Amino acid sequence: MNRRHEAICDPVSLEIIRGAARAAQSEMEALLERTAMSAFIREKKDFYTAIFDASGAMAVGSDLPIFGDIVGPVLQHYPLETMQPGDLYWYNDCYGSRGAVSHSNDQVFLAPVFLDTIRVGFVMGWAHFSDIGGLRPGSLSPDATDHFQEGIIIPPVRLVRGGETNDDLLRAFWRNSRFPLQSQGDTRALMAAVRLGEARVAELAARFGADVLADAFAQLLARTESLVRAKLAAAFPVGTTRFADAIDGDGQGNGPFVLRLALTRTADDRFILDATETDDQAPGPVNLLMHPDVPGMALGLYFLQGEVGQVLNAGGPRAIDEVRLREGSLLWPRSPAPLGLRGLTMMRLLAALHGLVAVARGGEAPAAHSAYVLLALRGEHAGKRFLMSDGVAVGYGARPFADGVDAVYFVAQENYPVEFMELTYPVRLRHYGLHRDSGGAGRFRGGCGVVREYEVLCDLAQVAIRIDSVKNPPWGVAGGRNGGSGRILLNPGTPEERLLPPLSDGTVLRRGDVLRLETGGGGGWGHPFDRPAELVLEDVRGGAVSPEAAARDYGVAIAAGALDTAGTVALRAQRGAVKLFHRKDYVDAVA
Amino acid sequence: MPSPEPRALIVAVDIGGTFTDITLQDAVTGEAWTAKTPSTPRDPSEAFLTGVGLALVQAGRDATAVGRVLHGTTVATNLILEGKTAPAALLTTAGFRHVLEIGRADLPRRDNLWAWRKPRRPVAPAMVLEVAGRIAADGSELAPLDEEAVAEAVRAAVAGGAQAIAICFLHSFANPAQERRALEIAQATAPGLALTASSEVLPVVREYERSMATVLNAAVMPAVATYVGRLEQRLEAGGIAAPLLLMKSNGGVAGATAIRRAPLQTALSGPAAGVVGAAAMARAAGVPDIITVDIGGTSADICLIREGKVGLTQSGRVGPWPLPLPMVDMVTIGAGGGSIARVTGGALAVGPESAGADPGPACYGRGGTSPTVTDAHLVLGHLPPALLGGRMALDPARAEAAIRAAVAEPLGLSLEAAARGILAIADNTMVGAIRIVSVERGHDPRGFALVPFGGAGPLHGVALATLLGMTRVLVPPSPGVLCAQGLLAADLKSEFSRSVAQPLAGAAPAALEAAFAGLEAEAADWFALEAVPPADRATRRVALMRYEEQGFELPLPWPEAAKPRAALAADFAAAHRALYGFDLPGVAIEIVTLRVEASGRLPAPAMPAPRGGTAADALLGRQRLLRPEGAVEAVILDRSRLGAGAEFAGPAILTQLDATTLVPPGWRGRVLPAGALLLEAE
Repeated sequence: MNRRHEAICDPVSLEIIRGAARAAQSEMEALLERTAMSAFIREKKDFYTAIFDASGAMAVGSDLPIFGDIVGPVLQHYPLETMQPGDLYWYNDCYGSRGAVSHSNDQVFLAPVFLDTIRVGFVMGWAHFSDIGGLRPGSLSPDATDHFQEGIIIPPVRLVRGGETNDDLLRAFWRNSRFPLQSQGDTRALMAAVRLGEARVAELAARFGADVLADAFAQLLARTESLVRAKLAAAFPVGTTRFADAIDGDGQGNGPFVLRLALTRTADDRFILDATETDDQAPGPVNLLMHPDVPGMALGLYFLQGEVGQVLNAGGPRAIDEVRLREGSLLWPRSPAPLGLRGLTMMRLLAALHGLVAVARGGEAPAAHSAYVLLALRGEHAGKRFLMSDGVAVGYGARPFADGVDAVYFVAQENYPVEFMELTYPVRLRHYGLHRDSGGAGRFRGGCGVVREYEVLCDLAQVAIRIDSVKNPPWGVAGGRNGGSGRILLNPGTPEERLLPPLSDGTVLRRGDVLRLETGGGGGWGHPFDRPAELVLEDVRGGAVSPEAAARDYGVAIAAGALDTAGTVALRAQRGAVKLFHRKDYVDAVA
Repeated sequence: MPSPEPRALIVAVDIGGTFTDITLQDAVTGEAWTAKTPSTPRDPSEAFLTGVGLALVQAGRDATAVGRVLHGTTVATNLILEGKTAPAALLTTAGFRHVLEIGRADLPRRDNLWAWRKPRRPVAPAMVLEVAGRIAADGSELAPLDEEAVAEAVRAAVAGGAQAIAICFLHSFANPAQERRALEIAQATAPGLALTASSEVLPVVREYERSMATVLNAAVMPAVATYVGRLEQRLEAGGIAAPLLLMKSNGGVAGATAIRRAPLQTALSGPAAGVVGAAAMARAAGVPDIITVDIGGTSADICLIREGKVGLTQSGRVGPWPLPLPMVDMVTIGAGGGSIARVTGGALAVGPESAGADPGPACYGRGGTSPTVTDAHLVLGHLPPALLGGRMALDPARAEAAIRAAVAEPLGLSLEAAARGILAIADNTMVGAIRIVSVERGHDPRGFALVPFGGAGPLHGVALATLLGMTRVLVPPSPGVLCAQGLLAADLKSEFSRSVAQPLAGAAPAALEAAFAGLEAEAADWFALEAVPPADRATRRVALMRYEEQGFELPLPWPEAAKPRAALAADFAAAHRALYGFDLPGVAIEIVTLRVEASGRLPAPAMPAPRGGTAADALLGRQRLLRPEGAVEAVILDRSRLGAGAEFAGPAILTQLDATTLVPPGWRGRVLPAGALLLEAE
């Protein structure tokens, strides 16, 4: 029944619809986790879900700041009016989706949802597939020079039409993976999850009516937009606020590459984000094809903290009136520039957006974090090819209200347990712990990165490593000091000890070789001398801070595991002046 | 009249914040007595014995007539949730002292990246002590245990104030020898200290989850041991020689000795007793397939029971911590009768904040001013003017004022619409949880009866059933005290598992048989420890299977008689399809874990038929019920005066001491011979 008049969703139904949408997401996620095959999905949990309105605007997303316009790319090939119940669309095409996905390992599965013949919304399942072909196992390599080396590209396609699956397409895709069984299992899991979400949204539409559901989605979008807009206005004065930061390099000898952001609030309260002065694109795969919706999602997530009952959705991007990018730059590269390791640029971009807030609000913003680290070990063992993609945690920035978080990878992504690693791959872990002194000193301490030491147990293997923020460690703010850098050592403590390039591929390892990986921390917040001495002592006892750093950075004297009060008073009498940011020294701007 | 059978009495003790409730039942005749006495928080065992004494006096029986004493304790749960566990230390493999601090390096999916704080671990990193020694993934020893370092670490832990020590070494699930040796050294070095090794608590892969369980078990041990010891002393002093059995998270009971060693097994037992009680009640009523909804003041627990069997899961949590011990498979949500409704940012939310028992809902008149779910019920005419058999009057004016100020006015709704909205949101949260245990697991809720219990359950039962298309609601005889019924009905239960990890197609039958036989031998030792007579012992074989490369297993019953592997594979594929909507033909299936579930049957008490008359005999009065379609007049019936076979039609409100049941128009009720009330949609 298609009623002509607009139905209004009352506040109670709105809350019920929001709750039910969240529950549907949880169900989809549980199904994926339980049935997927690759460790990247089932142990590390690199997957997300979202629900969209009938036009394709994201109404209920994941709490993740990296989504662009997901539905749009499909509509370019398959107009809305041609869609049928039972359809399922699929793509991973970065350039073809204008950055809605930003590296090819991420597969997007999307189903329109119908109530009888009325389209009421879309459901998305998104997951990182561990290998889709390309230059090296895992499809991502610092050595890539061309996007076509980063795995098979699937433009938006209709995988299922009216319930009929195009198996030919799937077989062609699986044939391109070095691990076809995992690819097959992951595909089926993702398809089943999307079907489940589709059923749940259809039930919601049946219960409340298509037009009430549509109004509910519209209200959720409007609510998020107005909230983010109000918070932007509270944070940024009229005029232009600028912040710049750099990634170290592209792994191929080029860099640093500087990201330059300028946020303008006009007199009539329009918000314009300009990134056109960012450096040119890199030859190596650190380019971030940044969908123009991404800055709004990222700032949206930042401003939604503490707002119970609000959801991150396309209302975030709508709060920013214009995003200006320059073609050929690091943030809007030209095809076929390689994109595989865009994560490190993305992580630096998120901190740079906080840098804008810090400049506008005199330091009332989180300090910077390190980019997550990936170590990929590949080779053959017991007659079988293996790929160990180990995502390793870093430290997050301290905040004006709390320490930064120790040892986090990213939203909802988990580490591989040591026991799982040793049961699954030809490695032995010799050490896994917090990386002492990597958290930036401050009234609130930056989070620590980790140390992970691997011994190779197969004859021959090759390692790829991805560490950023080595030359440019994560900045501290409001008196807080920068966080520590990461690095990777081969055979530490032996005559053969050698530092490996932090962003590199192809290092050959043999049985018995030891890799020691140390990841970076987060910046500190506030003057370290203002941190209560008892907390510093606790950090020393717990292994997060060394006694030397306690004295040097915090002005806290510790002798024989106890606080030396007189010594601390003496040290803290030598309190130095600070500037807004800290990177190696106190500075007014970091790049 | 025959003399009462010796030791036929069963005692169930439920210690609440305010009162301690005792249920005494004669297992032979089914006759039951209840007693209530103020709780004694400083030493709960005091009220425990006082209450048992009162009940015995009522029954006119002697202490020697008691055959068993059952108790559910929340001591371990509360210590963990409140962060008040004993100071503890963790001994771990050298190089891995930060396993607990790091956790799984994740941030919860529904939390904000920039606002989240990592919860404080129950053991500070300074109290995690490394010991050299190493076991490989295949169980072989790579480096010997440094025994002197163990002793030194134990001394350091004691010097640092530890009252409990947990030991968790890498891969101890594959080879527990080093952990056992470290345990012996610790016992010798610090006699009397609470000690736990991970291979005793949770012998499964994944070091963070196992370390956490071990630490929690050790850290609640001192308090639970003291608690259980006092109860036993009191019983002895009171002349009761019967065994003390405690409820576990798996829905079974275990003797005090077993609980002292593994107190963590009680951590999720609170809601388990109610589920067991509901299952027993439904069995007696001849309804094997039920979904239970236990609604208390602050939370609701939801569980699905098929063919009378309570399912188990190992994906539970307690507070922020994962707890992969076998527990009754249920979902807990923060919505209850005391859940507070409020408007933030234009959105109406209900819970998880709760007014609790004190100050309680606004209508209790004890100083609460926030509107709660209970206030919404009162405004809509769902509650009688007074609760607790007339002892506690409700104040509709306060309920109305609270809802008007906090909900109706901010949202521009009428009082009635606001009250209905509060209930709709609370019901929706519960419906979501019911879907998780039913639809999400491949069960159609319409084939089940809904069993609402807890003080607030029967008020929501029919509304929830309607939202889910269910047509039958079964209300227990005493919905508010079903936990006691659960204790009385519980059997002794324990599970024994072993990792086998091999392909289903290739696994040698003899090796599997030997593994199962080994587990059954462990079960036999346990039966002996719990003194279960051979006739009452039962074991069930279960295989946990998955497609190769998956990370999550499905439990399937393992046939006693040989069954072709192809048939087992077909069973697995069917289960996978039912649960997830697809199977993977041609992909190999693995057996990951073998499990033997052991239960020692305890004689179930009889359930006597309710005495009473017809609905006309039970009529207390009438009151106005506000329905979406308009006001209607409902009868108020006294449930205690409804006999077996009594029938009535909605709209009706049934009052009893421990709960209120709402029967809207379009539903009919009938009292079954076993005492339960069956409500059916017309």
